[in-house]
Amino acid sequence: MDNILSVLVFLPALAGLLGFVVNKESARAYGITVAAIEFLLSLWLWVSFDTNNAGMQFVELIPLIPDFGVSYYLGVDGISLFLVVMTTLMTLIGIASMSITENVKNMVVTLLFLEMTMVGVFVALDAIVFYLFWELSLVPMLYIVGAWGGPLRVYAAIKFFLYTFMGSLVMLVGMLFVAYIYHNVTGVWSFAITDWYALVLPIDYQLWLFAAFFLGFAIKVPMFPFHTWLPYAHGQAPTIGSVILAAVLLKMGTYGFVRFSLPMFPDASVMMITPIAVLSIIMVIYTAMVAYAQKDMKQVIAYSSVSHMGIIMIGMFAMNAEGISGSVFQMLSHGIVSGALFMLVGVIYDRRHTKLMSEFGGLAAIMPKYALIFGIMLMASVGLPLTIGFVGEFLVLVGFYEVSPVMTILAGTSIIVGAVYMLSVYKKSFFGPVTKEENKTLKDLTPKELWSFIPLVAIVVWLGVYPKPVLQPIDNSVKAMLAFMDEKAITQEAKDIIKVPHVSAHAREVK
Amino acid sequence: MFEPIKVSLESLNLVTLAPMLAAVAGGLLILVIDLINGKLHKSFYVMLTMLILFIDLGATLGLTLNERGFFNVMLEDGVAIVSQLLIIVASMLFTPLALTSKRFHEYSYPEFFALFLFMVAGFQFMVASDNLILVFVGLETASLSLYTLIALHNRSNSYEAAVKYFTMGALAAGFFAMGSAVLYALTGTIELAQAAEVLASRIDNNALVLTVLGSSVLLMVAMAFKLSLFPFHTWAPDVYEGASAPLAGYMAIVPKIAAFAVSIRIFGMYIDLGVEWVREMILLLAVVTMTIANLMALVQEDVKRMLAYSSISHAGFIMAALALDTTEGAAGIFLYYALFMFTNLGAFAMLWISRHKVRRFNARFDHPYEKFAGLIHIMPMGAVIMALFMLSLAGVPPFSVFWGKIYIMQAAVNAGLVWLAIVMGLNSAISAYYYLKLIVYMFLKEPVKDVDTVYYNLSKPLMAVIGLAAVATVGAVFYVEPLISYVYFMISASGY
Repeated sequence: MDNILSVLVFLPALAGLLGFVVNKESARAYGITVAAIEFLLSLWLWVSFDTNNAGMQFVELIPLIPDFGVSYYLGVDGISLFLVVMTTLMTLIGIASMSITENVKNMVVTLLFLEMTMVGVFVALDAIVFYLFWELSLVPMLYIVGAWGGPLRVYAAIKFFLYTFMGSLVMLVGMLFVAYIYHNVTGVWSFAITDWYALVLPIDYQLWLFAAFFLGFAIKVPMFPFHTWLPYAHGQAPTIGSVILAAVLLKMGTYGFVRFSLPMFPDASVMMITPIAVLSIIMVIYTAMVAYAQKDMKQVIAYSSVSHMGIIMIGMFAMNAEGISGSVFQMLSHGIVSGALFMLVGVIYDRRHTKLMSEFGGLAAIMPKYALIFGIMLMASVGLPLTIGFVGEFLVLVGFYEVSPVMTILAGTSIIVGAVYMLSVYKKSFFGPVTKEENKTLKDLTPKELWSFIPLVAIVVWLGVYPKPVLQPIDNSVKAMLAFMDEKAITQEAKDIIKVPHVSAHAREVK
Repeated sequence: MFEPIKVSLESLNLVTLAPMLAAVAGGLLILVIDLINGKLHKSFYVMLTMLILFIDLGATLGLTLNERGFFNVMLEDGVAIVSQLLIIVASMLFTPLALTSKRFHEYSYPEFFALFLFMVAGFQFMVASDNLILVFVGLETASLSLYTLIALHNRSNSYEAAVKYFTMGALAAGFFAMGSAVLYALTGTIELAQAAEVLASRIDNNALVLTVLGSSVLLMVAMAFKLSLFPFHTWAPDVYEGASAPLAGYMAIVPKIAAFAVSIRIFGMYIDLGVEWVREMILLLAVVTMTIANLMALVQEDVKRMLAYSSISHAGFIMAALALDTTEGAAGIFLYYALFMFTNLGAFAMLWISRHKVRRFNARFDHPYEKFAGLIHIMPMGAVIMALFMLSLAGVPPFSVFWGKIYIMQAAVNAGLVWLAIVMGLNSAISAYYYLKLIVYMFLKEPVKDVDTVYYNLSKPLMAVIGLAAVATVGAVFYVEPLISYVYFMISASGY
């Protein structure tokens, strides 16, 4: 099936439209079924994906507005493949474990539309199509936070929307400018990212364009100091909203850096290593400290998720294969682990309608299964060896060590601080005597919840022990990208810093 | 003895007049029919108007490109044809909105439809000439009819709106006449093509700088009134509020298309002659207009007033394209209106279906935000469609206005004005707030319980128009390509 990507993008949208007709009581089952089909399709994509090929696969190209250079252009490589699989997986598990009871049908329809936009972002190879899905993803999220959120939901939803919308409009101007340069050089209009890769831009253009794209992506990541919308969004969003937001939407920002900023502006990226690394380290340490100060369990997870996004950012700007592959792998790991953690918080919130840690204590004795899964996810989040979190974090730190040992050590403190606040959450909530009367009668995980978590736990352990099936395709594409960046860089400084790994002859041929 | 003047009918090339004549004759026909039988229902006149507009559309499509006619005052170039097509299509969208389920008395007068057709003819004359006197005549014909149409919506603030618009319009007309007079004094002609030739030979004469500036300033003030540009925009929200909702939506599009067509001719001439001052002035007006109008829209409590300010802001956005003086810029103006038309008329029509004869929600406003609270529970389809219109206006892809915005922003980047594109982007971000505000009310708030339904005025023709507008808004991506190539071809063929 050559057009599997189109099917992957539009199946959820079509299902969303048809979902309006489905009866209220059956809406939930409908959502799960569609998400499961979508997940199986994405697995099929993985199976039929040629892991030795570092280039774009399953490419579809249909001119949409030829006079303006916009085409419907999709494709997937090692970097985006697993983000697509992770998106469909987290959507499936999110819908399956959803505890919302009112307006379930609207929620399911919204989630399916959201899934379309998320998959679309990761497979789009045309900047306008990318932008289209990128902006469109804001609307369902706005509705999810605004309709099912906490007391401040409208404020949080609008803040989320406007913040991201503003950043991406600046990015849009950047895109238009690249298209303009491309037109000047070649005489043809094109928004295809692969065409843009061929452009060698002067340094000052690179810097300005890097800044324009940076604003769009950094707000989404969210980089310090643009992170202020995220705690509100997480604080107010329903569990399912937080899961999707943390697992997938934030990855769009980091994916944007890999897809656009690095290969298009290699010199500017090298020049920006230090500023971005400094911002990321501030982000890692500062938000980790803020996380430690939180009383609300969900806010701890929210801030820790921002803190870990900092690690992803650092790895990306290591400019070597370990760093970037590690960072892409960390995106997957962060998606699964932080998604699971938000679901776990949701479980206890459904039972007690509070997320304050002071309300809990001694839960390990009452809810052993819950405590066990929470423990595993928490360890994976901290980066314990043999869990998924370790692989990415380790590769990132190894990669960045080549750039700056001092900054690597600073970033490495995140593991320590992370352990501190995570374990303190665990201690406060799960150990010690059961102080509150209400907690004594809490039910452990229901089968529905348990079966949502088991696949995630399995993945966390599997990829922690044996990451190769995932890491290798990522690595292939990353190496090809690095070789390409090195070839394209115009300053000697950039050529020195971008480490070209030994690339197999095959991968070179593809690029 | 005077020689008898001999004019051959051939040289008049009367076919260039055919579209306007169709509209004028149609208007007269309606008046005659009313004389013969005064008891005909409004649906008869609505359908008759539609048919006349259809003939008008056919006549416009049948015009040959770049034809002059009628003593050379008519000029049917690409700008003229494209803007006439837009005017007619917008009018055809507007007309069925008269078929509301409740009786609003203005539509029971056949004169309403006759005036409407005279107005369309006036706008067509305005865009299809480069003779400043004919432009002026067209402008006044259209404006006088429009004032009356506003006043026919029989309410105290409609009269206020009509009088306000009339006063401002008279002022603008005065400026236009004076500007034309100065241009005539400068060049000895009121035909823009000839004026450009004369000016080109005299532009280096330093003694004339002040006069050239004077003529451009006066004409710009006149056009700024019509386009509701800052600081001449103050009439617009009050007039839109006073007029009936569909007419307000119509006013945000058609008179502005006509005024833009004239502006392209006049200011394009100045910019081509190298009067940089005009370009800078237009840029300044455009940026200030889109920003101020956006900020004003943020604080409005009434949806209709918000939409009024938003359409001012859109006009500012489009005005910036005029300053680029590139084919893309000029094409962008018409492309933007072609896309904006459906969304904007759709949004105003959604207000129209919720129009009550007395104010039920608020003592001051007809359409306060509270009225739309919880619309998703009352009228789910309506809420979704209105939300689509709002997202489109905010420039969210892939809805129609996004393509217009991106085209004009690209034109600005191509013209080397990256800062302008950034200002446009940031303004779109600001505007997203007030469009979202309505979405938040519709989707995330509970309905105000103690008032009856909001879809008071709904009827099948209204649903059809709104449905058409929604389809055009959502499916824009599929027709943008032919639209761009057609508009671009027409504009470049007429030499802009």
